[in-house]
Amino acid sequence: MMSKSALDKKFDRIRSLEEAGKLKPLTGSRALRKMLNNRLALIGLIVFLVILLASIFAPLLTAHNPMKINLRDMLQAPSFEHILGTDKTGRDVFARILYGGRISILVGLGSALIGAFIGVGIGCFAGYKGGWIDVAALRLSEIFMAFPQIILVLLLVSIVGQSLINLMLIFVLTGWGAMYRLTRARVLSLREEEYVQALQSFGLSTWLICYKHILPNALGPIAVNITLTTAMFILAEAGLSFLGLGVPPSIPTWGNILIVAQDLRVLQNNWWLWLPVGMVISLFVMAVNFIGDGLRDSADPTLQG
Amino acid sequence: MNKFIGVALAAAVQMTSSLAYADVNQLSDVRVRQAIAYAIDMDTIVETLFEGKAIAADSMIPNGAWKAPGLNKYTYNPDKARELLKAANWDSSQTLDVVFYYGDQLTADLMVAMQAYLGDVGVKMTYRKLEGDVGGQLNAKPDAGSDTSAIKWDIAYGAKAALALQEYYNGYQMGTSSYTPGNKELDGLIERINGTVDVAKQKTAFADFEKYENENLSDIPLYYQQLFVYESKRMSRNGGQYGNDQFNYDWNIVNWTVEPDAKGKKVLYTNTAPSQFFEHPWLNPGVFIASKAGFDHLLTADGSLVPTGGQLAKSFSVSDDGMSLTFELKDGLKWHDGEALTAADVAWSIETALKVPAINAVFAKTFDSIEGATAFKDGSASSVSGIKIDGNNISLSFAKLDPNMLLTFSQFPPLPKHLLGDVNPLEFQQHSFWQKPIGSGPFKIEEVQMNDFVRYTPFADYHGGVAKVDELVSFPSGQGDANVLKNAAAGRLDFGFTKSVGDVKALEAMENMKVVAADIPYTRSLRINKFANNAK
Amino acid sequence: MLTFIIRRLLIVVPMLFVISFLVYLGLELTPGDAVSHMIDPEVASRISAEQLSEMREALGLNKSFLERYYIWIVNVLQGDFGHSLAGGVPISDIVFDRLPATLELSFIAIVFSTIFGCLLGVFSALKKGSLTDNSLSVVGMLGISIPEFFFGLVALLIFALNLQWLPIGGRLLPGYETIWDRLPHMVLPGFVLALMMTAGVMRYSRSAMLDSLSRDFIKTARAKGLPEWRINFIHGFRVALTPVIVLIGFRLPTLIGGSVIIEQVFQWPGIGNEFIAAVRGQDYPLVMMIALFSVFAVLMASLIIDVLTALVDPRVRLD
Repeated sequence: MMSKSALDKKFDRIRSLEEAGKLKPLTGSRALRKMLNNRLALIGLIVFLVILLASIFAPLLTAHNPMKINLRDMLQAPSFEHILGTDKTGRDVFARILYGGRISILVGLGSALIGAFIGVGIGCFAGYKGGWIDVAALRLSEIFMAFPQIILVLLLVSIVGQSLINLMLIFVLTGWGAMYRLTRARVLSLREEEYVQALQSFGLSTWLICYKHILPNALGPIAVNITLTTAMFILAEAGLSFLGLGVPPSIPTWGNILIVAQDLRVLQNNWWLWLPVGMVISLFVMAVNFIGDGLRDSADPTLQG
Repeated sequence: MNKFIGVALAAAVQMTSSLAYADVNQLSDVRVRQAIAYAIDMDTIVETLFEGKAIAADSMIPNGAWKAPGLNKYTYNPDKARELLKAANWDSSQTLDVVFYYGDQLTADLMVAMQAYLGDVGVKMTYRKLEGDVGGQLNAKPDAGSDTSAIKWDIAYGAKAALALQEYYNGYQMGTSSYTPGNKELDGLIERINGTVDVAKQKTAFADFEKYENENLSDIPLYYQQLFVYESKRMSRNGGQYGNDQFNYDWNIVNWTVEPDAKGKKVLYTNTAPSQFFEHPWLNPGVFIASKAGFDHLLTADGSLVPTGGQLAKSFSVSDDGMSLTFELKDGLKWHDGEALTAADVAWSIETALKVPAINAVFAKTFDSIEGATAFKDGSASSVSGIKIDGNNISLSFAKLDPNMLLTFSQFPPLPKHLLGDVNPLEFQQHSFWQKPIGSGPFKIEEVQMNDFVRYTPFADYHGGVAKVDELVSFPSGQGDANVLKNAAAGRLDFGFTKSVGDVKALEAMENMKVVAADIPYTRSLRINKFANNAK
Repeated sequence: MLTFIIRRLLIVVPMLFVISFLVYLGLELTPGDAVSHMIDPEVASRISAEQLSEMREALGLNKSFLERYYIWIVNVLQGDFGHSLAGGVPISDIVFDRLPATLELSFIAIVFSTIFGCLLGVFSALKKGSLTDNSLSVVGMLGISIPEFFFGLVALLIFALNLQWLPIGGRLLPGYETIWDRLPHMVLPGFVLALMMTAGVMRYSRSAMLDSLSRDFIKTARAKGLPEWRINFIHGFRVALTPVIVLIGFRLPTLIGGSVIIEQVFQWPGIGNEFIAAVRGQDYPLVMMIALFSVFAVLMASLIIDVLTALVDPRVRLD
């Protein structure tokens, strides 16, 4: 008897699996599965979740109050009591990084989500219906996008003043445009699809077609964009703190903790004040970017996986 | 998370809502003010946050000959603070709105500390940096006779820097302060410190004022800031003294020397170069090197700013009643462009200064006291009748006694009439003269690279001899910015001054630098809104 | 092509007009004005309300908002960009004084990042999945994820403070004549900016190259039996270049503002530093001019990108 070829063996194996009832159609989202197979994206997701959860559950991880000063205990190097040392007013740096993460992530992710909500909301409807809403939104977004990002943000900070809410407002204002244009472009091409025309002929309301039937098909790139915007806003928050124009210094944020590195003395002598928080920001932003990359790859049908 | 967002939201709401409603202000109760003074542990703050580079204050007046004996130091005593608050029925549900206008990290840290100390005795506070029209927000004055303040804050952290000691208290005059309603007693005390040139009488008047303030706390004095004069080991003052470097004194810069560099050139490096224009010297007469080394004054002073003799003036005399003052200028004085510096320049400078807004307050007070100044200012006279010139002589007659007139003339630099004669006093700073000013001092400006550096060379016709170094170069950095340390580390900072604790500690750690501390009249305090009602 | 350019230019004009009005309005709504910044808070209490209003009058700040905007725009149309309120210096002087400093840094960053970014990106794409590709991906990701000033400060700590190889900051010293004198000062800020940009360009050109290599025409070329290098570089790279041009083109104008933070870290006297100072001092004419200038640069850059894309990529047609 002739020995079986490798191909034959493979088919035999598949057949036996099939007969034993072990071969089931894969369940769950193909995109999600593809993303989980992307190692970097997976690592990104884990880092993201670890930092996010550590911030949310900060009180469980540290007994220190991030606002509690102790002047007699200032600028302590890392020790068992203060694992990342203390700052110039004796506050625990580890606790400040954890609690600071809450605000920084809120500013970054929150602004990106609100911006996306507005941009997508308008973009989906305006892209589908056209008309004056579309023209107005398009012109408005062109105006916002004609500015270099940082110039616009600096202008807006000086106009509305410094506060947490204002900063988020500014980020939303500068971020919705890109989201709007992205959604609009997707919707413009999707509305010509046959399934949409079929829905129209059934007499479905515009709202239903827009938000229930078109939008889900445009979500891939939107999700990618949300991650990129989140990363950008977190970096922008830190940059604005450096320029003294970010969240008021009384609120601990990653940016506000990191700015002490401007002081050359701290930079040279007290690494624990700036290195860990700098690394946390970079890691977090990197994680978000990797998730974005993974989402993009998995949303792209030309790449099989 | 909710707690922080809550705090942030509260702050945001507080900042944006400007609904006017009157509110009974418990800070008008002296016991509350005293409690706040007891609650803040200034000694610990000085030792830790300030790293020992400040002196806890018990009065606005600095330590030394003018300090009244036996003042209450309000040494840290939280129990006493709680007791006083209880006696004053302090409503602990309210939150004090504390404002400040400095952008540095140390101020932010101090606010954190203050919040903790006040919180400890049951006084809640939030803090915020004033933005926009800072002066307006700090100094909004209430309608005459009103007992509701026009300012929105409860406490303002800030500094009072005084060229003349009277400046510490003159602002409390009834109807002029934004946070102290004023009263007859205060007005009487103010009259006494200004009404005499007799030093002994002045001292008693000041002592009485200090005792009154120590009890009533219009301002809660926090600490005296010292001034730190630093210099590199490359240079030598050759016996020149150290003093209050924020102003002008006889520092002997013409005799300073410095080791030659690799090319054999003797260059002194300093900071305070301009970024867009040279600030005119009639507001801060001695902060910028361009003002200090570029302009001379009629008189000169010692390190603690006591006038000692003539600079541009060969001689001067004061009448016995202190109501007239005469200068005789040296012969052959020249501006840096070679034009003669004359008595007419001096007279023109005084007259112009009367019309320039925002000049130094001590200058303004001296000039306003000259006979005919008011008529000149309101336009009813074309010149000031109290200023007479005759050849090299200038004589001033005063309508009102000004105890600080000599001080003024040791700091006020005359400016060249032939270059600035056409200036609109309201746009004084915007004149193109301030792109490359022509002065009368030992160094003249050779090259200006705005925002990069300014190069000065010795003025060959200087009346006090030609300076010994070849060049003076200044870079644009001020106090407390990172550039001071960067330049010092790079060997490009030979002398300068700073009030920043961070600078001092870092400079002291550098092998090539030495630091000398000088006591200056500069007091940081908490201004307390004492009006009976608060317009929030 | 020409009609396309003209049509686009015609859109730029009303756009600048609207934006100038909006920025002016925004600045008007900002609390305080230039006068409130000219006077130190520590002396402000001694200045009377009359004096303040006189100063405002002298600077023309007492006029109504529309009146001031009208005066401003008429002057600008006549080529007079006005004077800085704080120092009375003509704004064109300030801009032309500062712009070279910023352009120097931008030039280094653009040239360096374009060359190395494209090279590394293409290399990475050709070696897709290899260890080199994966490490470059991680490094590239790090490059776009580090806060700019943090990277700048760390570079400053290592190369200027600890190793003392390079100057700490500043741009000009007395006696500097040629660009060679200034070169050491440019190295740190220039390369910090360049490295961060390289990361972006690399990531972009990698994915563009991958995208291009999966196209049908590459398969055709391969089927024709063309040599591999020719396929990769002549066919693949040319198409991959388009998105890279777009990215770099968009970076050009942003560098005017994009170097704001690096200029602060290295005390580089560029336009970004001036903008921050002007915003803080509420020096409206100066803020307006720099803002409009950068908007103009963005609009022009996007026009140039469209034209260049059409030139490089045969598939793109301008309508």
